[in-house]
Amino acid sequence: MNTRTFAHRLDQAQRADTAEVPAAELLIVKGLCKQFGGLQAVAELDLDVRVGEILGVIGPNGAGKSTTFNMIAGALAPSAGTLTFDGELLAGLPAHAMAARGIMRTFQHNKPFTSMSVRENVMVGMHRRIKGPLWRVWVASASTVRAERAAAQRADELVEFVGLAAWRDADVATLSFGQGRLLEIARALAAEPRLILFDEPAAGLTPSECERLSIIIRQIASQGIAVLLIEHDMRFLMALADRVAVLNFGRKIAQGTPAQIRADDAVVKAYLGDLGAMADA
Amino acid sequence: MKALAGFALTALVLSALAFMLGSYQTDVYRKLLLWVTLALSYNFLFGIAGQVAFSHFTFYGIGAYAMVILLFQVGLPLPLAILAGIGLCVLLALVVAIPATRLEGFYLALATLAFAQLFIVVLNEGGTVTGAAGGLANYRLPEVFGMRVTGPWYTVVIVLLLLGTLASLWRLDRSWFGRACRAVRDDPQAAQAMGINVTATRIAAYTITSAMAGVAGMVYAFVDNTVNPPIFGLENSFLLLFMVIVGGSGRHAGAIVGAVLLYLLPFVLSPLIGHHHALVFGLFMVAVVLFQPKGVIGIWDGWMAKRRTAP
Repeated sequence: MNTRTFAHRLDQAQRADTAEVPAAELLIVKGLCKQFGGLQAVAELDLDVRVGEILGVIGPNGAGKSTTFNMIAGALAPSAGTLTFDGELLAGLPAHAMAARGIMRTFQHNKPFTSMSVRENVMVGMHRRIKGPLWRVWVASASTVRAERAAAQRADELVEFVGLAAWRDADVATLSFGQGRLLEIARALAAEPRLILFDEPAAGLTPSECERLSIIIRQIASQGIAVLLIEHDMRFLMALADRVAVLNFGRKIAQGTPAQIRADDAVVKAYLGDLGAMADA
Repeated sequence: MKALAGFALTALVLSALAFMLGSYQTDVYRKLLLWVTLALSYNFLFGIAGQVAFSHFTFYGIGAYAMVILLFQVGLPLPLAILAGIGLCVLLALVVAIPATRLEGFYLALATLAFAQLFIVVLNEGGTVTGAAGGLANYRLPEVFGMRVTGPWYTVVIVLLLLGTLASLWRLDRSWFGRACRAVRDDPQAAQAMGINVTATRIAAYTITSAMAGVAGMVYAFVDNTVNPPIFGLENSFLLLFMVIVGGSGRHAGAIVGAVLLYLLPFVLSPLIGHHHALVFGLFMVAVVLFQPKGVIGIWDGWMAKRRTAP
């Protein structure tokens, strides 16, 4: 069970706001490599994500963004390198173990649980927090009943937070693609994560939905949750991220604030075809 | 509180019915109750946890045989025999589940099918322990505290078994465990990303429902007072699957409706068209799968939705 309280996270967030020194590094990636046969998808990658910060990772197609993402989420085991989360070495753990430690993710192609209502989908996100011994469910112990009621209530709050309150009891099949993305976010937040991984969250959204998404992601970070954002859409990412890492051919070619990245020669070269987009961003 | 009162009332009505039936009707009624019990637990495994397993009826057989062997060949007292029987079912379920639930869909079906066949072979080759092809007979329920539960009172035991199974499944379904099972069925990758241990959830669902089938089998052992291999053949495993599909998979009410319909159908059809009832049965199955994938309970849901939207 996640014992980190909201107050604790707020405290961390405030420290992140006021301190001159950078906030604590929550996730440290060192020398991460992934090989698929003869293909080096990710090579010697170093990244760090701090509490309450939005780190953006960009790169052209095939740069290794998704592979990196999947290794941090536990969907792929790294070939080499370490993942340190809050002082604990995590590389190679399965996805459910990553989630148990407070690393939650969204999917680029929405993956809702189609047989459940919106509220129930969000309640699945609380699995680790309300899970107890099965016999307690069987005897319907007072604590189980209480936890279930509290979970339903918390789910309603989260559904409201992402703006799906009107669809709370709806079948998820009736949601639009953009609403499905919001459900993904509510579901990930339900776990009270310490780090959220967004896999191209803006993909497939309309401009107004992107706008709304930016606001939500900023709110999440301001609660002291670390955010790692992998994105194709430069305009969206540059406006949102505190820091940006640029990947190309599996290697990090630049890192810095959005302003530094825009001025970086290596990045401009890698994104030659996207120069226009860079200038607009 | 309301749910509890509902259960008590249902128990009373179903039990009262037991005292009004003749001996033939009692036999039909008891078996109907047992089918409903089995369909309920199979619905959790197949409909809610999404595992296409054909071993459910086999665990019913394992429970029945275990009960008879433990009582009359090992010589255990009844309470101990019940505990040991449940323990055996759990153990065997784990032995099957741990390798088999790593397999998905088609392969799980094949593995459990093989297990079901193996059980029949073991029964036939079991010599005096299983009574071979003739099975075991000529036994009756031992006395407990100088009393023997017989006649309508044994039917009451079956009613309590059914309602106990339903209540347990109901609670499991409406908890984090039920949601985890549905999540794993809907999308294992997303379920894992939510912190659900997919393999552990599958194993737990398989083991719990199989043990429930085993307990039903233990009760069944004293319904016919004989157990033999043909009773636990594969066709009953398929019938169980059809019951859940026809009724509406994933819904407790669906399992109940499906079991009642398909169990009683031959009784209605046989006098009319004799052995051709199997043909009607087959056509009925095909029609449901083609035109009403959500089962009979889906039709009911449709009506209720219409009534709600109509002014």
